[in-house]
This record gives sequence, structure tokens and C-alpha cells, in this order.
Amino acid sequence: MRLIVLRTIYFFLFIQSIFWLGAQECDLSLKGRVTDLHDGTPIFGALLKIEGTDLFVQTNENGIYSFGNLCPGEKILFLSHPECNPISKKHNLISNTDLNFELEHHINELEEIVISDNQLKGLNGNAKESRLNTDQIILYSSQSLSDALKSLAGVSSLKTGNAIAKPMIHGMYGSRVGIVANGIRLQDQEWGADHAPNIDLNAFQNVQLIKGASALKYGGDIPGGIIVLSPPKLILKDSLFGQTIMNASLNGRGGSLTSKLMKSTSNGYYVNGQLTAKRFGDLSAPDYLLSNTGVKEFNVSFKLGRNKISKGWELNYSRFQNEIGILRAAHIGNIQDLVRALEVDKPLRIEPFTHQINAPKQQGIHQNIHVIYFNKFSKDLKWQLDYNYQVNSRKEFDIRRGISDDIPAIDLKLQTHSMLGNIIWRKDFNWTQEWGVNALLQDNFSNPNTGVKRLIPDHVKTQFGSYWVGSYKPSNSFHWDWGLRLDQVNWEVQKYYTVTDWESRGYDEVFSQFEVEQRGTQILVNPQFDFLNFAAQTGISFELGKQFETSLSFILSQRSPNASELFSDGLHHSLATIEFGSLTLEKEVSNKLLLSFSKTSGKLKGVIEPYFSKINNYIFIGPKGLQQTIRGAFPVWQYEATDALLWGVDTTFEYDFSNQLTANVNAAFTYAQDLNNDLPLINIPPFNTTQSFKYRSPKKRYEVEIVNHFVSRQNRFPDLNFNFSSLQENVLIQREVDISSPPNAYQAVDLFFLIHIGDVKESKTSIRFMLNNLTNTRYRDYLNRMRYYADEVGRNFQVQLVYSY
Amino acid sequence: MKQFKFLQKTFLLPLLAATFLISCSPEEPEAILEQELITTVELTFTSSSEEDQIVRWSTTSANSESITLKANSEYQVEIAFYDESDPADIEDITEEVIEEADEHQVFYEFSGVTIPFVQGGSDALDEDQNPVFINTVWSTGEIGNGVVSVYLIHEPTTKASTTRDGFGGETDVAVDIPLVVIE
Repeated sequence: MRLIVLRTIYFFLFIQSIFWLGAQECDLSLKGRVTDLHDGTPIFGALLKIEGTDLFVQTNENGIYSFGNLCPGEKILFLSHPECNPISKKHNLISNTDLNFELEHHINELEEIVISDNQLKGLNGNAKESRLNTDQIILYSSQSLSDALKSLAGVSSLKTGNAIAKPMIHGMYGSRVGIVANGIRLQDQEWGADHAPNIDLNAFQNVQLIKGASALKYGGDIPGGIIVLSPPKLILKDSLFGQTIMNASLNGRGGSLTSKLMKSTSNGYYVNGQLTAKRFGDLSAPDYLLSNTGVKEFNVSFKLGRNKISKGWELNYSRFQNEIGILRAAHIGNIQDLVRALEVDKPLRIEPFTHQINAPKQQGIHQNIHVIYFNKFSKDLKWQLDYNYQVNSRKEFDIRRGISDDIPAIDLKLQTHSMLGNIIWRKDFNWTQEWGVNALLQDNFSNPNTGVKRLIPDHVKTQFGSYWVGSYKPSNSFHWDWGLRLDQVNWEVQKYYTVTDWESRGYDEVFSQFEVEQRGTQILVNPQFDFLNFAAQTGISFELGKQFETSLSFILSQRSPNASELFSDGLHHSLATIEFGSLTLEKEVSNKLLLSFSKTSGKLKGVIEPYFSKINNYIFIGPKGLQQTIRGAFPVWQYEATDALLWGVDTTFEYDFSNQLTANVNAAFTYAQDLNNDLPLINIPPFNTTQSFKYRSPKKRYEVEIVNHFVSRQNRFPDLNFNFSSLQENVLIQREVDISSPPNAYQAVDLFFLIHIGDVKESKTSIRFMLNNLTNTRYRDYLNRMRYYADEVGRNFQVQLVYSY
Repeated sequence: MKQFKFLQKTFLLPLLAATFLISCSPEEPEAILEQELITTVELTFTSSSEEDQIVRWSTTSANSESITLKANSEYQVEIAFYDESDPADIEDITEEVIEEADEHQVFYEFSGVTIPFVQGGSDALDEDQNPVFINTVWSTGEIGNGVVSVYLIHEPTTKASTTRDGFGGETDVAVDIPLVVIE
């Protein structure tokens, strides 16, 4: 049958060529690429037909199709694939044309992400700069989400040591950045600078970065951006496949193992299981061991579901557990200890190598249960209901005196129930509209057995939201999207203040209605707050000629202060600061404008993305004097609000020297200013750039990549230094405590070498050798809180084995 | 319209029901008794020719007390640490410090005056026979005004040093008390 079809094609081509010989005009080509709407992966085996003719072609494994010898004139292209909705497209062919398509996999509707990354998602999958593909996820298999995302322009990593890393987008982190896994926002103690997201990168196939927070479906309170993690795709046929990745590292003398297995049947059932285990001991800086920087992690996830195209359900469970050591030398008692640590070149405590993790350390367990049900009323209309329950428990252990180090100093349990119901209406692939409601109930419990004042009080947060998002995409050359969201957030808190703190802040007058009872030196209060947050977004993108494309979008987001900003109350051992929340904070309002110019084809491809954001009531923590304690004077830091301006440019360029050699340059610059105080904002990423060269052997069996990272010195920083008097040679002298000066610029080189074993085309096994920080460069990073105490990690040699089956 | 009713039945109602089910009023949290807390440092000066002198530094008082010592004299100095956050239940932390002698070090630094000190006869010793300096003997010299900085160091990096910085470790107590050496 197929042969006959092919013969028919050849026959027609033959006939056509005869016509072409006669007419001299039918020499046009129409080619392009068909990719998945969700993640830009190529779609293999899609059938393209020119209506009214018998011409048709199939896409190859790279999703590429090509028609040749076409006559000019209006063509109607009909595109179909067994797993996708068919689409048709009218095109007036006057010259050789590249026409790309994005298809939506039916099966993908389970993890539907109907968001369009205006800024980056090009019409032809040029958006690869804004997402991590499977190969990049594998590359960072033994590291964290934040490490992986750092390879994208405009993303930095705010770190505490090496293992605690949180992604920073456009200079914003924590509550200003959303993480969405499996279609649900991750709910953990995201407010802390030293709290890494409790998520295992290995459980996902695709990571997408949306810088504009245009995904109002997931919240209207994330001005920084949103990170969307999608699980592996399942195919609607009988199949069983899996993958195991093993990593071994010399630095830290450890490794990781991750394995997943997926089974699906032709009647729509599917099962998916995954586990990851990691274990590292103390890491080494170039000149010394970083004592107590080991990591342990063990994660499992399980998924069961059925997809019958018109309706389906899914049940998901995942458990993430880790234990992270914090550099022993960074645990200090007072300012004098800090000064002593600042004045030496290497950590004050260096012990022999061990895999053991002692206090100070963090332990986290995150569990997630997610149920999805969807149903299609008709071809155009679909509704979906998600219920999700997340439990996050977080323990932080300090060096303690008098009681065991095994009793945590912070012990928080955050439980979140959330419901999301939505209706999606789609018309001819041009119009898409979605309306949804979201209810969230969050309960935080702070265990009193710690024997330490609660850093975050017991509270219940409820949130009701509704959103409406839509897009109009009449052709491949124009796209418009919009969205609105309204959220009602309510806080109900029970907190003890010391009576002196309550009164010295004037809360006894302003918030006397919250007072419950005075107990000794403490007062129990019951603050209640309501916030109404509105968010809106709109964007357009269009082609400028054949190779260029531009987009513009505007995002208004409103964020109510988080638990830490409102209520935090305690001592931070890594910087010897006392941190206080503020009950008088109001919601943060951000207006952000994003532009993007991209060149989408040719040898040189790239994108330049400037952005501007003005944030009113920008909440930050700043110094507020000193507090005398029995351990001496401590700087007090308190959350406050100001107006802030943040702008910057992210760029990515790629140049293909040949099919074998590719060069890539990423760069990002961020400017951030506190307008009210006329000061730069703290912890803003300095200018950074990454350049890489990648060589692939002609048969793609080998791949060599060299990557150079350059991070400049941050010259715009607020001066938060303070004076401290201490004894030296029996004389009391004033010493300046320099906690502000950023470290110098640095450069580090990584080298990667990949070999595919066996058949290259469907490679089942590959080995990768990785050399990080090749030259063993000694450096410190401005965005690492441990920079006061120790250098960054030195050279590391890592071997990775990937086996698919 | 029919569709709307269906919608209402299928997810709006369960959504509301679920929300009511799970929103119940939270229990009142327990007040935390802070452990590891030291609120008070007490120095007792004993000499053969004077009455005992007790000087206290406490987080709950104004700390106006100062030490008055005679020139060219020797004093037995005993240090004590207390947790007085709950007046009904005062805890003596000194015992803990002595029990965990390996992890602790008391130390004094002087400014304005020069007062060498050595371990006292009844001083606590750690496993390696290093003095913890709970009990010390101070030898005053000439008259003068100054300050004594009193330290309790937790997990010092060394137990043998002549300066606070030399001991390393984390500071549990660091208080400055005015000191006068008179004729």
C-alpha cells in the first residue's frame, strides 16, 4: 500500500517536473519543522498534504518536512498526526518558504500547559534558549534545578554553599519566582534565601522558563517569572521504556543514580515510576576542604492514569527527601566571630574528609499527591479538575549548647490543599480561551519543641482566585495573548511576640485588636490580614520578514507579603543578624514590560530581550540599627518597602560554523535601584556571560563542548557595612565589618565529552565525561551567602553513564 | 445552560465543599520556653582583705554595675551563668558548662588596665587538663579605668590561646563590664 502511495508521489513528481520543464515557474520549495506545542520537541511522522493535490510528505525524526518543485499560488496545507489534532493552513506561495508548525499531542493534554512564552517561544522552536531539553536535564542530573537553569540567559542562582541553590530570574527570587511541576505550583518554604526548592529535576522531561509571568493560570503574584517542569510524555500505544543515569564525582567523592520506567497500553492506561538517590561527602575548594558540605537525597515518584482522549484521569504521588550540610565554619555566634571569619582567607574550621553530615544542616521532606480528571464536552470545549495536597516539612539544625544538636532549631510543617478547575475553549487552533478557579488552603505549623523562638509562626492562609486567559494566533506570523486574574488572600496568624518587641514597634497601639493574652514576657497575638490582588497581562508577537521576529508584552502583578516578610522573628546564624518581619507591609505591585527581538533562522540565530520593571512597595530587608544581647551587639534587619526599578537585557546567540561546529554566547545584565533611598538593591546578579563551542563528529558519535563562564564584579551594591568595637592588644578599637563588598570578577571553564555507544541513531547508551572548573580557579560568587567564609568548589571530574531501554 | 449546571455539579460544588471541610480554626500555639538561653553573667571577686564583691550583667537589667578592685592585689574570680528568663525557675548554666568542659572556654580581655590572670585552684578542667577558667586568679597592677570583656566560647578551635580571636569558635557570651582599679 505504502509502496503504491510512494509510486504515486513519484509519478506526480515526475509529471510535475515535466510541467516544470515547460512552465519554468514551478521551482519553489516549501519546508519547515513540526514541533510539539508544549515543549518544542520535534514531531516525527506528521503527515503534510497539499490539499487539492496528491502531494504529501512526512516529517523526519527532526520534525523537518520539505516539498520541492511547487508552483506559485495559494496552497492549503493539511497537517495530521495520529496523536494530534489535525490542522490546516492557507499559504500564498510566491517564493521559497519556511513554514513551521506546532502541534499539540493529544496525550499531552494531561499536563496541559496552555501558556505561550511570548518573549522566547519563537514560531519555530527557537525558544530552546528558554527551556532545558532532556539532554540538558540529564547533564545536570546530579545537581539541582537551579544549577540547570543557570545555563539560561537571565537566570542566576542564589546560593548558600553549593547544594542550596534557588533560581533567580531578572534579579528576583523566592516568592517572586514560581515553580510549577506537573501543572501545580510547588508550595514549600520558598521565602528563605537559604531554602532550595524541594524538587527533583530528574522526574521531569522538560523545563521551561517563562520570564514574564504570563502564566496567570498559576498565579498573578510572580513578577520574576515562572519555571514550568513537565513530566515525560506518554504514548498511546503498548510500550515499556525506561532510563537509568549514573553519575560519579571525584570532588565530594559521591554520585547519584536515577532511574525511571514508563509503561503505557493502547487502551489508554499508563504507569510511571521514578527514583533518584544522591550522596556526596565534603566538597573541596581549590586549596582546602569545605567541611560539612555533604548532601544526601532520596526521591521517588509514581504516576498512574488513563487517557481516552475525550476524558481521562491521573493520580500522582511524589516524595522528595534531602539532607544538606552547611559549611561548619559559617556557623557563628556573634559579630566578633563574623569579623574573625572575614579577616582570614580560608575557613576557620577544616576537618578531615567525611561523608557524614553534622549540624549545621537542613533536612527537608516534600510529599505531593495530585489527582487530575478531565473531560471533553465537544471538539472545542474541555474541562479539567485538579486536586493537590502537598506536605512540606523542613528542619534546620544548629550547633547547640546545653541540648543535643539532634533537636532542630527550626521545625516547620507546611500543608497545602489546592483545587484548580478550568474550562478550555479552542476554535480552529486560532482562538484559545481558558477560564478557571483556584482555591488554596495552607497551614503552617511551627513545632514548639525546638526550644528556639519560632522564626515563622503558626498560620493559615487561604486564597481564592479566578483567571481568564486567551490567545489568538491567526497565522504563524502573528500571535496575541492576554490574561486577567483576581485573588483574595487571607492570613490568620497566631504568634508570640516579646512584650518589648510588640511595644517598641508601636504594634500595641496600631494592632491592639490582635492582642489575645499576655503571658509573662511574651504576648500572644492573632493578626488577620486580607489582600486583594489583581493581575493582568497582554502580549503580541509577530514576524518581521522571514528571519526576524519580535514580541512585546506587559505584565501587571500584585503580590501580598509572604510569611517571612510579615512575621519573621529570629537570629540568622550565618550572618549574625536578627531578622524581623513587619506587620505594616502592603502588597507589592509590579509593572513589567518585556521586549524581544530574535533572528530565527540562518547560520546566526539569537535573541535580545530587554525588560523594564517598576515595582511599587518592593519588599526587601534592610539594616535597622543594633540590638544589645548577651552575645554582644547584633545588627537588626527588618523587612520594609520601597519603590524599585529593575531593568536589564538578556541575550543568547548561536552561530553554526558548520554542521559540526556551533558556538553559543549567553549574556545577562541587570540594573536594580531602590528609588526611595536612591541606593542599589542588594543581591542583584552582576553582568555575566557564558561562551561555548560544541563540536559534533560527522556521525554524531562524539561530542565535545567547552564552556567558559565569566561573572563580573557587582559594582552596584548598597553599603551596609557597620562599625564594631573590639579589643586589640588591650585597646578598644573600631573595626568596620565589611559585609557589602562583592567579590572580584571570575572566570571558570568546563569541558564536556560525550560518546554514544552502539547505534548512533537510536542511541541507548552514552558516556559523558565532565570537567568542571578545569583550571581549579579560586573564586567567590556575590550571590553565594557562603562567600564570607570560603571559596567556591574547585575542580571536579565527573563521569556519567546513561542507559535507555 | 444545561452545561453550566453540569459544571456546577461537577466541580464548583465539590470545590466549595472541600474548602469548607478543610478550613477549621487553628489551635492555639504553645509558648516556647527558650532553651540554651543565658540571660545573666555573675562574677564573684574574693580577696583576703575585702568582702566578696558580686557583679552581675543581665539582659533584664540596666547593667550599670562596675567592678572595683584594689591595685597590686590578687583576686579569686568565680564566674557563673544563669538563665533567669523565667523568674520562677532560674537555671544555673554553669553546671552545663562544666559538664561539657571540652566544648567550652571562658576568657577575659581587658582594655585600659592590665590584669593578667591564671587558672584558679578549683577551676574546672577538660579532658586534656586545659583550664576552662570558671575559676581564675586575677593580679591587678596600677590604678586605672578600663573595661573587662567576658567571654564564653562554644566549641573553640583551640583550647590554648592568649587572645579571644585565637580561641576561634562561636561566642555564647560577650559582655563588657566597666572596671576600676583604685588605690
